[in-house]
Amino acid sequence: MTAQHTRTHTIDVSSILRDQKTTGEQNEACIKVENLNLFYAEKQALHGVNMEMPKKKVTAYIGPSGCGKSTLLRCINRMNDLVDNVTIEGKILLDNENIYDKAVNVAALRRRVGMVFQKPNPFPKSIFENVTYGLRIQGINDKRILEETVENALRGAALWDEVKDRLNDNALGLSGGQQQRLVIARAIAIEPEVLLLDEPASALDPISTLKIEELINELKEKYTIVIVTHNMQQAARVSDYTAFMYMGELIEMGTTSELFTNPRKKQTEDYITGRYG
Amino acid sequence: MSELNTSIKSPPSIRISSGEYHQRWRLIKDVLARYGVVAGGLGVIVAIVLIFFYLLYVVYPLFISATAKSVSEYAIPEQALGNTLLLEMEEQNEVGARFTDSGQVVFFEAATGKTILTQAVAIPEGTHIASFAQGSPINEGAVIYGLSDGRAVIAKHQYKVTYPNNVRVITPSLKYPLGEQPLVLDDSGAALEKIAVKVGENATTIVAKTADTPQGPGKIRLINFQKEQSLFADEAALTRTDSVLEQSAAGIAGILIDKDESNLYLISNDGQLGFFDISDKSSPAIRQQQNVVDAGQKITSVTFLNGDLSLMIGDSSGLVSQWSMVKDKLNRPAMQKTRSFKVSDKAVVSINAEQRRKGFMTTDADGIVGIYHSTAERQMIKERVSDALPTAAVLSPRANALLVQSADGKMHFWHIDNEHPEVSIKSLWQKVWYESYPKPDYIWQSSSANSDFEPKYSLTPLVFGTLKAAFYAMLVAMPLALMGAIYTAYFMAPRMRQYVKPSIEIMGALPTVILGFLAGLWLAPFMEEHLAGLFAMLMIIPVGVMLFAFAWQFVPKAIAHNLSEGWDAALLIPIILLSGWFAFKVSVPLEAFLFHGSLRDWFKTELGIGYDQRNALVVGVAMGFAVIPTIFSIAEDAIFSVPKHLTVGSLALGATPWQTMIRVVLLTASPGIFSAVMIGFGRAVGETMIVLMATGNTPVMDLSVFQGLRTLAANIAVEMPESEVDSTHYRVLFLAALVLFMFTFVFNTLAEVIRQRLREKYSSL
Repeated sequence: MTAQHTRTHTIDVSSILRDQKTTGEQNEACIKVENLNLFYAEKQALHGVNMEMPKKKVTAYIGPSGCGKSTLLRCINRMNDLVDNVTIEGKILLDNENIYDKAVNVAALRRRVGMVFQKPNPFPKSIFENVTYGLRIQGINDKRILEETVENALRGAALWDEVKDRLNDNALGLSGGQQQRLVIARAIAIEPEVLLLDEPASALDPISTLKIEELINELKEKYTIVIVTHNMQQAARVSDYTAFMYMGELIEMGTTSELFTNPRKKQTEDYITGRYG
Repeated sequence: MSELNTSIKSPPSIRISSGEYHQRWRLIKDVLARYGVVAGGLGVIVAIVLIFFYLLYVVYPLFISATAKSVSEYAIPEQALGNTLLLEMEEQNEVGARFTDSGQVVFFEAATGKTILTQAVAIPEGTHIASFAQGSPINEGAVIYGLSDGRAVIAKHQYKVTYPNNVRVITPSLKYPLGEQPLVLDDSGAALEKIAVKVGENATTIVAKTADTPQGPGKIRLINFQKEQSLFADEAALTRTDSVLEQSAAGIAGILIDKDESNLYLISNDGQLGFFDISDKSSPAIRQQQNVVDAGQKITSVTFLNGDLSLMIGDSSGLVSQWSMVKDKLNRPAMQKTRSFKVSDKAVVSINAEQRRKGFMTTDADGIVGIYHSTAERQMIKERVSDALPTAAVLSPRANALLVQSADGKMHFWHIDNEHPEVSIKSLWQKVWYESYPKPDYIWQSSSANSDFEPKYSLTPLVFGTLKAAFYAMLVAMPLALMGAIYTAYFMAPRMRQYVKPSIEIMGALPTVILGFLAGLWLAPFMEEHLAGLFAMLMIIPVGVMLFAFAWQFVPKAIAHNLSEGWDAALLIPIILLSGWFAFKVSVPLEAFLFHGSLRDWFKTELGIGYDQRNALVVGVAMGFAVIPTIFSIAEDAIFSVPKHLTVGSLALGATPWQTMIRVVLLTASPGIFSAVMIGFGRAVGETMIVLMATGNTPVMDLSVFQGLRTLAANIAVEMPESEVDSTHYRVLFLAALVLFMFTFVFNTLAEVIRQRLREKYSSL
């Protein structure tokens, strides 16, 4: 590790939060990333990332391909543990608890930090069983609770009206957009605190994308959302805060309106004006 | 060069012009490849269909019904020479013989009735024939004439086949095996009213009933001639033994002696069957006296079925019943009715047994001839041969022709096509009551040393054996292979997997003959010796693994973490070896303490479970070993190819790896796992070498894991080389092959259909 690699970028989150306070909104940091380094074998993919993600807000990560935004997202529910030869240094605090502590139960963490992937990944089961999956693995098999949860989750994911008559049909029969909303319903069925969305609309058509974006707006009422997106317009439309990453480093983070209208860093400006990426 | 340039410059035309060599050649290759693939695919299908139809073609004759065809009808040859006592026919169906009551034998062409030769039997002057009987028709062709003065003449009719000028010529002749001089059976000169003879190689037994004389009532005499070969003289001396049965001779209508000359049956007019033990010729003893027909009926005809173990008794109501010797409760032989045939509404006139099978021919008062098979309980042929009452009938030695003489002076010659009477759906798949068996059973016993043996073709024990072997193999292979596949695909470190997977797949390349050889010659005796150790291993290895897993938690983290995830399986190798070794060590004292030194004997004495050295357990292990690579490889691929995004999705919902594996991975991989199991099963069903060498090939129907078995495949391999082409045995073996083929075909098709269904359900992943 060279000195160059350990450069850190401290974002003045407190100043952002102060801005919020002036508008009268209650706000507190939900997730804090502290000095996070990540190595894939010898290759360093994240360089000393520090950031805070406020509660019940949407935070978007933008940046060119390979900049580490998905890697960072996966650190939040420790999905990177599944990759071979990965080494992680630093801390991520979820409600002031370090999720990389030895005592942390990874399955319990993931129950609190839900995740939706780029490609819709419903299980080859019925719609009903897909939504109740998270409950069943916790041993909840009460039919009444399950049915209630399915309706709530599907309503929450704006899918209820489309599938309520065919809950026992195989989920693989749904369209791509429906599948993605089903996956979101599956994630919110276990009532996580944080929802991680990894390019949730990139595999979808424009109409489905629109629906997902509307859904994100509704979901932030209840959940802290972190979204990775390639699409800057999407970030601008759905997020409250945006973080720009480049080459494994966090370049700049701020409220979305500020970052897009008045970027503080030259690299950010170059990226959002389409000079590279 | 210039051509190349132009082709680059101008946009390629959609149509092919003759100059564009490359394009054309590409098209030709494409077409060739297409037709090649189509031809290959069709070729495979055609080959399989051809195999199927060939099997069917060989098997088909088993199930076509028998036919009888009238060949000729002619006047009884040399009718002036007397009434017919016996009709005979030689093996080629060319020469018939008529034995008349005047002591003449008329040999004639069976097809035309033209007389070939007429010969007089040496009947002494001043006597006449009082009784007549045929010895067993097989081989010897002996007949006996009982004379009115208490003497008897034994004659044989023989047929010599020569080929002058390459034309077959059959020359009939008469011979006297005990000399031309009549034998004196009754010193007092009483007429021999009924007589029976059996001419064996070293002994001849005659039983005769003498007529009542003024000196006293008639007797049943038994005379035995034992041939004693002298060491010094070529001439054999005959030792005669005489005895008289302590049985009233009144009403005796028929006498039968079996081929061993040790059992005697007396039939009386009132429907009684007397069964005597005459193995000691000087003191015959009665064993049983039994009424064998319904009240009011009379016995009209009796004959032995081939093998002389059963009597076919025909009565005046048209019923033929089979009485066989069965061991009774006290293990004594006794005659018992095993089955009966309603052959006619009229009285049975004659019964002739087939000479090589358990079939028989009946004639009734209406001139209807019926041909039946006793064990298969089938009527093969029923034809009206003559309009008049049949007076004599004979079935040829090969049972492919018959001669019937009728009261209107005609002789009827028929051809019969009745190749496989013993095979029917019932005899193949249901319990059959064979002669001298205590009860109906499923039996496969296709050949034996003696010629009058009845082959027993029940496919049930073979199918049972096939399924049993496959079941035990799957019992061993399925858990190991599937668990192994799950661990290897889902939990094992990728680098370790790189070694493990190919190693197990190489196991599959091991020739099964080696596995069978090891199983039969090493594993079977080893298991027999160390049965307790084997069972101890089954218990101790899991306990050892559990203990190790428990202990592993307490290993300092520093050591534990040195081992990268997924390599933990490697640690189990020494543990398994160690606990296996420990199991065998500890089993010896344990066996001595708990089972009086031998688990095998304990099974036998305490539980009544017999132990065969070559048994289903050995096959289960050996064939399981052969099937593991197949199941493992396919199942492992199926599990490994479950899309990562599904497992990740499950883990992201807070599922543990175990929950993910059970609820998502196995579900998604289920089509592949299913087909792995089915293909493994198909392999176990069709496997030949291992079962051939390790099962003992005993076609028994016993579920016990310690008993042997015989599978369809092994049966074909064992018996095909010794079966005569186009014989019933040969065709039944083909039928076994067809059954095996259908088995694997149905299983594979079913598996494929289910797999497709499942795949459709879990597709688009």
